Amino acid sequence: MAAGFKTVEPLEYYRKFLKEACRPDGRELTEFRTTTINVGSITTADGSALVKLGNCTVLCGVKAEFTAPPADAPNKGYVVPNVDLTPLCSSQFRPGPPGEEAQVASQFIADVIDNSQMLLKEDLCIAHGKLAWVLYCDLICLDYDGNLLDTCMCALVAALQNVRLPSVKINEETGLAEVNLKTKHALKILKHPVATSFAVFDDTFLLVDPTGEEEGLASGLLTVVTDEDERLCATRKPGGSALAAEKLQECISRAITRHKEVTNLLQEALASVKSE
Amino acid sequence: MKETPLSNCERAFLLQAIAERKRLDGRQTYDYRNIKITFGTDYGCCIVELGKTRVLCQVSSEIVTPKMNRPTEGILFFDLAISPMAFPGFEMGRNSELSVKLNRLLERCLRNSKCIDTESLCVAAGEKVWQIRVDLHLLNHEGNIIDAASIAAIAGLCHFRRPDVSVQGEEVTVYTPEERDPVPLSIHHMPICVSFAFFQQGIYLLVDPSEREEWVMDGLLVISMNKHREICTIQSSGGIMLLKEQVLRCSKVAGVKVGEITELIQKALENDKKARKEGGKFGFAESLPEKRITALKMEKSAVDTTDVENKVEKIILDAEPPSRVISKPVVWTEGTAQIGEGQENTWGQLEESEEDDEDEDSAPESPNVEMQTTKKKSLKDDVTMSDSEEDDVVILQPERPSQISH
Amino acid sequence: MEAVGSVLREYGCEQSLLSRPDGSATFLQGDTSVMAGVYGPAEIKVSREIHNKATLEVILRPKTGLPAIQEKNQEQLIRETCESVIIGSLHPRTSITIVLQIVSDAGSLLSCCLNAACMGLMDAGLPMRALFCGVTCAMDNDGTITLDPNFRQQKESRAVLTFAIESTERKVLMMSNRGVYSATELQQCIAAAQIASEKLFQFYRDFIRRRYSKS
Repeated sequence: MAAGFKTVEPLEYYRKFLKEACRPDGRELTEFRTTTINVGSITTADGSALVKLGNCTVLCGVKAEFTAPPADAPNKGYVVPNVDLTPLCSSQFRPGPPGEEAQVASQFIADVIDNSQMLLKEDLCIAHGKLAWVLYCDLICLDYDGNLLDTCMCALVAALQNVRLPSVKINEETGLAEVNLKTKHALKILKHPVATSFAVFDDTFLLVDPTGEEEGLASGLLTVVTDEDERLCATRKPGGSALAAEKLQECISRAITRHKEVTNLLQEALASVKSE
Repeated sequence: MKETPLSNCERAFLLQAIAERKRLDGRQTYDYRNIKITFGTDYGCCIVELGKTRVLCQVSSEIVTPKMNRPTEGILFFDLAISPMAFPGFEMGRNSELSVKLNRLLERCLRNSKCIDTESLCVAAGEKVWQIRVDLHLLNHEGNIIDAASIAAIAGLCHFRRPDVSVQGEEVTVYTPEERDPVPLSIHHMPICVSFAFFQQGIYLLVDPSEREEWVMDGLLVISMNKHREICTIQSSGGIMLLKEQVLRCSKVAGVKVGEITELIQKALENDKKARKEGGKFGFAESLPEKRITALKMEKSAVDTTDVENKVEKIILDAEPPSRVISKPVVWTEGTAQIGEGQENTWGQLEESEEDDEDEDSAPESPNVEMQTTKKKSLKDDVTMSDSEEDDVVILQPERPSQISH
Repeated sequence: MEAVGSVLREYGCEQSLLSRPDGSATFLQGDTSVMAGVYGPAEIKVSREIHNKATLEVILRPKTGLPAIQEKNQEQLIRETCESVIIGSLHPRTSITIVLQIVSDAGSLLSCCLNAACMGLMDAGLPMRALFCGVTCAMDNDGTITLDPNFRQQKESRAVLTFAIESTERKVLMMSNRGVYSATELQQCIAAAQIASEKLFQFYRDFIRRRYSKS
């Protein structure tokens, strides 16, 4: 009976739950799904992490390569995030060039990296105007079940903290770069931005961490990215139902709490690796 | 959305009108529609209106490495894009035939006629030259795109100023507009396209065909000419055969038209220059028609935002502060940690029965058996940690089958 | 914090200036200018039709070069904003296409795009449940808010926030931004944008009154 009701009137089905301030999967409105982090999942990458938020799974691999710094900023390197939504993760995606959602997610992640100043691009420069690191951060979605941005942000931060770059010296006589694979160092990550997404139902209910199903039914989405100083690195609300300033403040409060949770989680996960 | 085709009676009507030497918009055979040129605030930006056909042009410059076979010449690049807003039948990627044809013609008219001194665009021979890029956007298609585009392109090029550069040894310095005035391009002559549409196998001829007229025409002759009456390009398309006299007559007409249009462009350029020099207002905002009822302007207006702080303070005070309760993460194994208990992922189901799920996220050397015990223990810790957990588990259990089933 | 000196630049708008689209508008904010063309409701390919509402498409065209990932992002923001106000259920299985052409960028581009889109939709006569307007705020290092910043102000600022405000309750439809800021600053910007939106909606009203009044 319930399954039939859900198929015919999915929105009404959700409303019945929301009236009781809970969700069909048993969560409270402000509760996240189980968040699991695994760092160093890929041994061939310079840094990697796998993050699961309920079923939504994103794998982030960071590959570092040499490149010439950009002409207009000779003391900087590059960070190139790329979100990949393959047909593997959901039937709604087609093979071929990245679709709109993947492009928008990539742009969002790139914006957050720039805004939050999580790592200084100057640190990626090896020799002024000649050699710099480019960090290709590939975010591959393995299972698409809502709240892609939160999962991606979390995976990216974890993977970047996992990156170990070999030390590079420029030989002054030959002008060539010498790579010392034995001494590796971590990147200087200054900020740890954490994203928190919300779905708006009927202009009144705010659901934290929406699943794919909830995202499809919601009338609006909102993503808030905070850093450890409780400052906002990005707030993104792409249209949808209108939101009053008071509601927004609630979201920010929840995002700040979530930031603490995730930072703890990241620290624990990373600490457990270092102890080996 | 498909373009509405022309009906047969409309076609017959148009042809009959042309045979009676009448045009739907009341023009004579050799009349152009009104041409209006407006310059933007940026250098090299203009909008040309030919009747209701509208083309936006933007010229930009960039320092690039020259082509191997022409190390001392700058590069000219043209791109005439048909915007989807130009007409309803347009689809992205389609209509490439029309677009290719127009681009090719434009290139022949402007690049191959050597109207721009490309050698003056050289910064350091073989290493650095200016690339001048001309982007044209067709905004509204009411016929005769090529004439409007060629006027827009040449007006844009004349208006454009590139940043000044200086070369000292190998060092190339590009100056910002504040440091040094940007320099104009050196333009030898101004080629302009004039289109002639032929009907009934060349019996009737019209200058500047409108969109409807283009539908019924048999052939099109485009003559590109400068004001010295030098022909730069001539192209006949549509598969009609023209007599020598016809072409000569067309070229004479084109000469007159080009003279008029060149004068118009120069006048528009002068007006813009004067406005800039006198520090007066210029740009698109000034060209907004004042009298039309479909246009309105609002003067600068101050916004009083003094009240903002109080209002905001209230909102923030009213809102619930962030909660201090933070759940403690559980470390399962090296590099794997978890928080939260809401809707566990379906992978978690495997852990009771199968053991291979550990391979996904654990260090390879850890023995499997040991892993499982630690994990189960940690999960139990979870349950006791918070009070509402038993309920959650109870709800989750019946939900799972339904999740899988749909 | 001193935010009294905020000034909206000169605004201008013209509708129905293109003959081919069903609705068209150009919107000017100081030297920033965007042109919009709206087609629809019109027939649609079967593969793209939605059975209970109109399919909305937004195409944003940069002035030079090809559309990049940045434009895609803005397209999505504008599309979702329009989608929330257009009553698409009145025209199921049709397409509504909004084409935006950047004519000149002198700061506050996204808000100008939004305003042009709204004006274009109005001209096309599409049913909407509310109007919306775009407001951009720039914040510099000491927290001063500048409304409708020009290119230079935008560049020198610490954070730039763009909002879409709807006309019925002045709620926030869309938010997008660059830079870091605190929650308080965000709220201040929203409040400022809401005040600025009054001016814009008044402008909308004057505009429509001028166009449709008999005198």
